[in-house]
Amino acid sequence: MIQIQGIGNQTGPKFWRSLNELANTPKFQQWVAREFPDGATDIMNSNSRRNFLQLMAASMGLAGLTSCRRPVEKILPHAKSFEGIAHGNSLHFATAMPLAGSAMGLLVESFEGRPVKIEGNPGHPASRGAANMLAQASVLNLYDPDRAKDVVEGGKKGTWDEVAEAMTQAGPLEGVRVLSGYVNSPTLAGLRAQLLAKAPTAKWVEYEPVSDETILDGSRIAFNDSLRPHYDFKKANVVLALDSDFLQLDNRSLGWIKDFSARRSPAHHEAAPAATPAAGAHGANDHAAGDHAPAAGMNRLYAVESNYSLTGATADHRLRVKPSDVANFVFDLARELGAITGLKVLGQQDKFIKALAKDLSANKGKAIVLAGPRQPAAVHAVVALINQTLGNAGETVTYTKEDRRSMASLVELVKDLNSGAAKSVLILGGNPVYDAPADLAFGDALKKVANSAYLGAESNETAAACKCSLPESHFFEAWGDATHLDGSASIVQPLIEPLFGTKSAIEVVGLLVNGKWQSGHDLVKAQWKLADAAWKKALHDGLIAGNAAAPAKATGDKTRVEAAVNAHPKAKGGMEVSFFPSANLFDGRFANNAWLQETPEPMTKIVWDNVALMSPKTAKEMDVAEVVDNVGMYGKKIAIEIDGRRVEAPVLVMPGHADGAVSLTLGYGRTAIGRVGKGIGYNAYAVRVLGSMGFASGATVKKLDGTQYLVTTQEHHNQEGRPIVKENTEAGYAKNQHFATHDEEHVELFSLFDGYDYSKGSQWGMAVDLNACIGCNACMVACQSENNVPVVGKEQVAKGRDMHWIRLDRYFTGAEEDPQVVYQPMACQQCENAPCESVCPVAATIHSPEGLNDMAYNRCVGTRYCANNCPYKVRRFNYLNFHKDLEEITKMVHNPNVSVRMRGVMEKCTYCVQRIQEAKIKAKAQGRAKGEAGPYKVGEILTACQQTCPADAITFGDINDPNSKVAKLKKDHRNYTLLHELNVKPRTTYLAKLRNPNPELA
Amino acid sequence: MAQLTHDQELKNKLSAPLATGNPNFHDVTEAVSIISEVKTHRNWYIALAITGSITGMMGLMIAYLIVTGVGVWGNNAPVGWGWDITNFVFWIGIGHAGTLISAILFLFRQKWRTSINRFAEAMTLFAVVCAAIYPGIHVGRPWRAYWLFPIPNEFLDMWQNFRSPLLWDVFAVSTYGTVSALFWYVGLVPDLATLRDRAKTKARKLSFAIASLGWRGSATHWKNYEKAYMILAGLSTPLVLSVHTIVSFDFATSILPGWHTTIFPPYFVAGAIFSGFAMVVTLMVIARWIYKVEHLVTMTHLENMNKVILATGCIVGYAYATEFFIAWYSGNPYESYVFFVSRASGPYWWAYWSMVTCNVISPQFFWFKKLRTNIPFMFVISIIVNIGMWFERFVIIATSLHRDFLPSSWGYFRPTFVDICTFIGTFGLFLTLFVFFTRFLPIIAIGEVKGMMAAAAHEEHYLDEAVAASQGKEPVGAAH
Repeated sequence: MIQIQGIGNQTGPKFWRSLNELANTPKFQQWVAREFPDGATDIMNSNSRRNFLQLMAASMGLAGLTSCRRPVEKILPHAKSFEGIAHGNSLHFATAMPLAGSAMGLLVESFEGRPVKIEGNPGHPASRGAANMLAQASVLNLYDPDRAKDVVEGGKKGTWDEVAEAMTQAGPLEGVRVLSGYVNSPTLAGLRAQLLAKAPTAKWVEYEPVSDETILDGSRIAFNDSLRPHYDFKKANVVLALDSDFLQLDNRSLGWIKDFSARRSPAHHEAAPAATPAAGAHGANDHAAGDHAPAAGMNRLYAVESNYSLTGATADHRLRVKPSDVANFVFDLARELGAITGLKVLGQQDKFIKALAKDLSANKGKAIVLAGPRQPAAVHAVVALINQTLGNAGETVTYTKEDRRSMASLVELVKDLNSGAAKSVLILGGNPVYDAPADLAFGDALKKVANSAYLGAESNETAAACKCSLPESHFFEAWGDATHLDGSASIVQPLIEPLFGTKSAIEVVGLLVNGKWQSGHDLVKAQWKLADAAWKKALHDGLIAGNAAAPAKATGDKTRVEAAVNAHPKAKGGMEVSFFPSANLFDGRFANNAWLQETPEPMTKIVWDNVALMSPKTAKEMDVAEVVDNVGMYGKKIAIEIDGRRVEAPVLVMPGHADGAVSLTLGYGRTAIGRVGKGIGYNAYAVRVLGSMGFASGATVKKLDGTQYLVTTQEHHNQEGRPIVKENTEAGYAKNQHFATHDEEHVELFSLFDGYDYSKGSQWGMAVDLNACIGCNACMVACQSENNVPVVGKEQVAKGRDMHWIRLDRYFTGAEEDPQVVYQPMACQQCENAPCESVCPVAATIHSPEGLNDMAYNRCVGTRYCANNCPYKVRRFNYLNFHKDLEEITKMVHNPNVSVRMRGVMEKCTYCVQRIQEAKIKAKAQGRAKGEAGPYKVGEILTACQQTCPADAITFGDINDPNSKVAKLKKDHRNYTLLHELNVKPRTTYLAKLRNPNPELA
Repeated sequence: MAQLTHDQELKNKLSAPLATGNPNFHDVTEAVSIISEVKTHRNWYIALAITGSITGMMGLMIAYLIVTGVGVWGNNAPVGWGWDITNFVFWIGIGHAGTLISAILFLFRQKWRTSINRFAEAMTLFAVVCAAIYPGIHVGRPWRAYWLFPIPNEFLDMWQNFRSPLLWDVFAVSTYGTVSALFWYVGLVPDLATLRDRAKTKARKLSFAIASLGWRGSATHWKNYEKAYMILAGLSTPLVLSVHTIVSFDFATSILPGWHTTIFPPYFVAGAIFSGFAMVVTLMVIARWIYKVEHLVTMTHLENMNKVILATGCIVGYAYATEFFIAWYSGNPYESYVFFVSRASGPYWWAYWSMVTCNVISPQFFWFKKLRTNIPFMFVISIIVNIGMWFERFVIIATSLHRDFLPSSWGYFRPTFVDICTFIGTFGLFLTLFVFFTRFLPIIAIGEVKGMMAAAAHEEHYLDEAVAASQGKEPVGAAH
């Protein structure tokens, strides 16, 4: 993590007291000198804050001494170990990650009490075994040395005791305001109810900068009821996404991707494998097998959007329109379908609309129309009506009750803050000073309150604006609970004691309500009142059974919708500006996460920055297209003005973007933040105001003089006519099933060397289904986490030294103005005739008896010849010591099963050889018979990328085992070998991409 | 000499301009020996200070690299090799002229080589020293570079990978270095004895006495010497071809388009000789002027070298054309892309066309006698040729690597100041070694030049006589 801007020259307050420094304090010396630390005898009988903090200090000291930290209670050695614990073996615990009103069920791998790797919980509806980038990377937030660690009051360090005193002696909670994100913790909701009952003048306000409340607003028009739609992509033959990136930027994306991708397999599948029916028997982790059943043929996705999203990239037909024209489009479509009456307005897109309407009508009850949260309520109302007209409601689209009206209450809060009606305010998480609508001037209003406190995990803009800031526990450190949008509830189970003496939101609100500290554990237990067995089951499963919300009745009211359509205002003209949550940083809360900063943005492949996206035509007209020379890429700066508010941003041309529109990414430009995120990007919230939270029209965009250096991981976007991502239409595939392999036929080649003997045991292989892959980057972060892949920083990425073992190659095909996008996950292909192996002079990269291309880091001297000779360019070289500047605490995130590579050695994907070895040891320990294909069960070994892939695009396994899914996929007609003509015989093969275009639009 | 045979006539024709002014044996001894015997000139110290500080800068750069990592250079992914290997091949190539002059021209009895061979051999040796720095420091862990040698050690406990061209390279270059050093040293022995005999101080006498291995100039000595020299010349001859052939295997045996071509071995050897001769011309033009040995290193020598430059330049140009033809003829889209797009018009077009201008066009002037015997002109051309040959290596390495099979991983290489300073530093080292060489050692092979002089023509069979004399008669004294 070197040379990140701002790290070297620390000024101002010191970010982090290093452990060495800590070890040198007199207090610590004293502690070391004594046989027992102060108060050690109190461990058993006291949970006083003082003792707690002392133990914290002690355990921190231990962490420094041993580089391995355990929960405080476990510092005492086990006289007897308990069942299931073996040093060096990891344990998995179920928990859930709360995020903006949703909950993602996770399984966390923990080594000796140290959470290291996050995986999706197969039993949880929000993750279904997968985990996205954000969830994967959240473990790094736990070990962030820049986290909020201390109670800070008026610029001075305080204590939790003082906080408790202040909160409990403040009297009858007069005029208290609590501002939080969406409350989806039943315990917190319970405490909220108690608080509001106790203090009638108190108010509780929810605000999320990235929300989809417009959907609820739409349902209030259409159904006269606040309802949330849920989609069943398994059943959908036709999907229409209107300004919706449902495959990437929704809290429910993971589950949707799984169903959606399963429906991308073609119907023409004669030689293709049927799903392994026995797969389910191999345990919950075996989700990857069996989901590819081509039950009902390939679905068809239409996307109508302004910016190019991952959904647009997956779509069979994509229509680029300005954000305001999405409404016109959907109104016209509704008119075409007869859902509403009125004259159509868009002549241009009539052909598209007619064909689409025909397709939708032909698939009544088997289609989904959905719109993204940027679109106004009227659009959602019409969408609801269309789904009803098509008979989708109740089939592919169901509704549950949900009522949220946060924006109005936030406006009211600001009014109260300004008027003095609010006496004191407690902010639980979030970062409203940074991300509240700009016209509310939330920061100024906050300063007017006498008492303000902020509980948050980082020392951010809001913490700085409050009188008192309190450090919040990471969700790995505190008990809690969370419900997902479908109502299913999980216990948030901690994996580790708080590293820095932090408290959770329920503990702080509990203090406010009850006047005394209660542990989060007790609060959650009190909320759920589960019997012991049920509690244990809930913890084990990561899900509390029987909480899913019941479907609600939804009957659309055509008159109300038509009234809303008629009242829908016309766009103001001028440039239109849309606001997108960042795929990497979400709303900005992950801005200090180096893994996410360095993961390339899925569409632009930009790292460590956000940009303003424009179409090639618009950028050309304004002369703001980026300048690319041999040194790098320079984004020309523009100023975007909306209602007198202004932000400056560098432009990047996005082929396929709508003309006359700009897309801005939220979450960057943070000012009060740790070292990683400081000074990265511009803040798009500065021009995001009430009433145009999704997109704004009538903006003025001016070209400025300056440029900004932008860094991408991929500089060339054209396949140059090479057969890299092989692609066809479903119909074309039906006609010629061998289209992907016809160029692979050749005469038998003569080799001087004998091949390897794989007649016994296993040989590993991988198949990547390009049809399923949507390019979401989850695999990149999963791999980074699993394999201790270092972060190198913007400058080094600019030099082409990014270290990701797996990357997602993104190519544009077709015209620049309106291209299609294809993705290709690319990691070491583990060639059988590996060109890297033959050129290494010191035999540091060698073939294993199971066909792997192994790296012996200790032997490597770093000639880089192997990387030069690798046709896939997947080898990564440690040009510098990329681990040098890691804080001790950040090193805790390392997976102990994988070597941390030193500078000067080459590294690359290993097919997660540590997981293979683990399975091997397990099989041996269990005395499993060595069958013909080795002792492994099908699907027992999952690579990190495969495990987390929501689309099940990656399949790894034993090619020697005819029952393995990978062996079957390799017999698929679509299976082809990349750069086959080189005869390197890679073990990773690709399944060609198919699209399913509407013949009427061909 | 009224009735000269054709052979004799030819000999006289050749020998006359090979040592002009008709010096006698003593004059030659004087002219060469005096260089190392006079009081050190102030200018010599200035020269040493300049070249020494450039060498020092290289030392600093290498120290910085070893402490920080190879990342201080511009190397990246996909361009894993940049200036490091470019400079390695460049310096190895320079060395080739020395070996060619001393070995192949010796075997072919090209007598014009005599007054330049010592100089050229020194150049070979010093170029190999400069070249050998790079493989050592370009690896990620330089403190483990010795693992490339098959020496027993407890860390590896296994053999190197004999399939790797880099390992062949280690053997080729170390053999080349060893043989070149031996060859040079063996050739030096009689001249060192000359210096010993002329030495005035005890220290000088002692050091040259040790270095000259007890040479007394007896006929037996001469006989053994000639044999040893002949054997070493025989050993060196295949090295002229093999070293650069094997260096070219680093590229040719890979699968990278632009590297994977069968034309590389002859192409590399021709290029090496081309650049080596250019370097000899550059150095000789300076040295003969500074040390006033124009009568020993004559225009004939220079002209002959320029002819070799012209010939090898044409071979190199032909090779460039062949690469394009094969790229087209093979129908291999990746290879076509490298040549027709990457090199001819890609981001490195300037490097490619600089290479063609310097290597193919500039030597064509040597078709004209007037130009190839014009000292300032040949000096400029010789430098241009070496610039071109540096570009050739850079073009081969960087343009092939920066855009290979998958466009997603295409990149670009830019040198850093460490790259540049290290390269400049190798010139400092090269020149420092030369500064020492010209100060302390006979820069021209005294014994050999004498053998080629007109005066020696009268004693054509002096060796045979000497041999006869050694078989029973009094040994003949040292040859002066």
